[in-house]
Amino acid sequence: MTLHAETSQTSQASSRSSGNSLAIETHGLSKHFGQRKAVDGLTISVPGGAITGFVGPNGAGKTTTIRMLLGLIRPSSGSATVLGQTISHPRAYLPRVGALIESPAFYPSLSGRKNLEVLAQLGGHSRSRISQVLEIVGLSDRGSDLVGKYSLGMKQRLGLAMALLPDPDLLVLDEPANGLDPLGIIEMRDLLRSLREQGKTIFISSHWLGELEQVAGWLVMLNQGKAVFNGPARDLVDGRGELIVTAEEATQIELVARIAIAAGYVVTPENGSLRITCPIDWAEELNRRAREAGATGIAIRAREASLEESFLAMLKGDH
Amino acid sequence: MLRAFRSELTKLRSFRVLAGGAAMIAATAALSYFALNEATSNPSSALARALPTQQGLIILLSSHAQTLLIAIAIIVVAANVAAEWSQGTLRNLLVREPGRLRLLAGKMLALLLFVTISAALALLIGAGVALAAAQSHGISTTLWTSSDGMSAFFSFFGNVLLGLVGVSLLGMLIAVLTRSTGAAIGISLAYALVGEGLVDAVWPDGGQWFPVHLFGYLPGVTSPMSYGAPPMGYSSDLIVALVWMAGFIVVSGVLFRFRDVSA
Repeated sequence: MTLHAETSQTSQASSRSSGNSLAIETHGLSKHFGQRKAVDGLTISVPGGAITGFVGPNGAGKTTTIRMLLGLIRPSSGSATVLGQTISHPRAYLPRVGALIESPAFYPSLSGRKNLEVLAQLGGHSRSRISQVLEIVGLSDRGSDLVGKYSLGMKQRLGLAMALLPDPDLLVLDEPANGLDPLGIIEMRDLLRSLREQGKTIFISSHWLGELEQVAGWLVMLNQGKAVFNGPARDLVDGRGELIVTAEEATQIELVARIAIAAGYVVTPENGSLRITCPIDWAEELNRRAREAGATGIAIRAREASLEESFLAMLKGDH
Repeated sequence: MLRAFRSELTKLRSFRVLAGGAAMIAATAALSYFALNEATSNPSSALARALPTQQGLIILLSSHAQTLLIAIAIIVVAANVAAEWSQGTLRNLLVREPGRLRLLAGKMLALLLFVTISAALALLIGAGVALAAAQSHGISTTLWTSSDGMSAFFSFFGNVLLGLVGVSLLGMLIAVLTRSTGAAIGISLAYALVGEGLVDAVWPDGGQWFPVHLFGYLPGVTSPMSYGAPPMGYSSDLIVALVWMAGFIVVSGVLFRFRDVSA
């Protein structure tokens, strides 16, 4: 599973986290819009130097949190730091932050290069940096075209180029894969890995859990404005999964099903086998109980949950 | 602030914006030409009677073009500022320049520069067209180009530009309040061209102190056409107009500084 490849990233991140090099830290951060609590007492920590996935269903408060971290909206209560600086003074850290927020926004009557020039002038970045970021996102040959003529994928690439302009220490990306074709997604994934290898911290909000699973070493999961998980991605999926039980005799299958149900797990019969949603380390215990009950001819196979399955289980409250 | 100023200039150097500026210049020149034709075709009109005076040139420019310049200035500024919300580009700008007042100040300086340069060119080219057209119609322009005539012209010129700065600041305030391009343009135009006229109709004594009237009166010290001479006197007009401008800046600055950017 791909998350295994990210273990070193996670452990680096964990050590950084404990070593007080957090890129983002929030304490009881809240934002209320009238009676609605968009973000409700959010306490999270994001380690430096890692790719952190920021996930949650629509309306969970991801974009509101990102906007607070970028100084665009003020928290109703709570506190947060970004790159060690309090978010009440965004000027202290935003020059080191690149951001792509929601769908990227541009001046449609200007070319891609001119759009970047507007921001480069504002941030005090050189013109040569504009060419560099266009090259990085693969838009060098279309930089002179009007943005109004760009496809959705090209706009997304240009948005990423904008975020990369300041050569940031922290890159905040909100749904960066929107509109990208499969090749674009692979390129984006490679780019994120390469940026991480340069020591940059990437905080990426996405619905594409399959994609996040391949790059994120750390996860922050939000639901209804609260953090339901904050830690190494490995910890979320660790042990979570299902056991698939097969047997030659139907009676043995029925016996195993009774044992699993009695233990409080969900059991799904499937083509003569059983799927038991449970921690995969319960396999040993199941095997022991089945033998004691006389079901000796069974085979148990463990299947580790994907990030998506773990995410859904977490949202359902199945910890 | 300098970075925000230069960044905004980068946007204003686009073909569409420059074409809009050129259209404003062409329209002003055309209006002064039409005003001259109107005067020559109706010799008993107030406009025709004013032509042989030192203020002839100013009256040609102010009879129609001043209202056009006010309308264009308020649209340009309101649309440009409000578009940052409507397009969502404000969040990009604020991430690169978190100093909101610096951003607004730099942006407005660039816009004011654009408005005043475009208006100045429009007035100067319009004046050139009026002079050439007058000579071709056999109208004497000696008084227009006399020392007193030029002095009056440049006084008018300066006051028009000052009035346009005021109108532009009003456009900024409306944009910051509405945060929507369509609403900002609609409300700006409705207020500048109709709103104050309605106030004036029902409350003439109070209406004259409203901002667009005061900005429009400023050039009226040298030209009785268009908005006319300030009924409260030039000094009072200037002081209250400057107070309005300061008010627009303060209110816009406070709103821009403290409001959430959720667009």
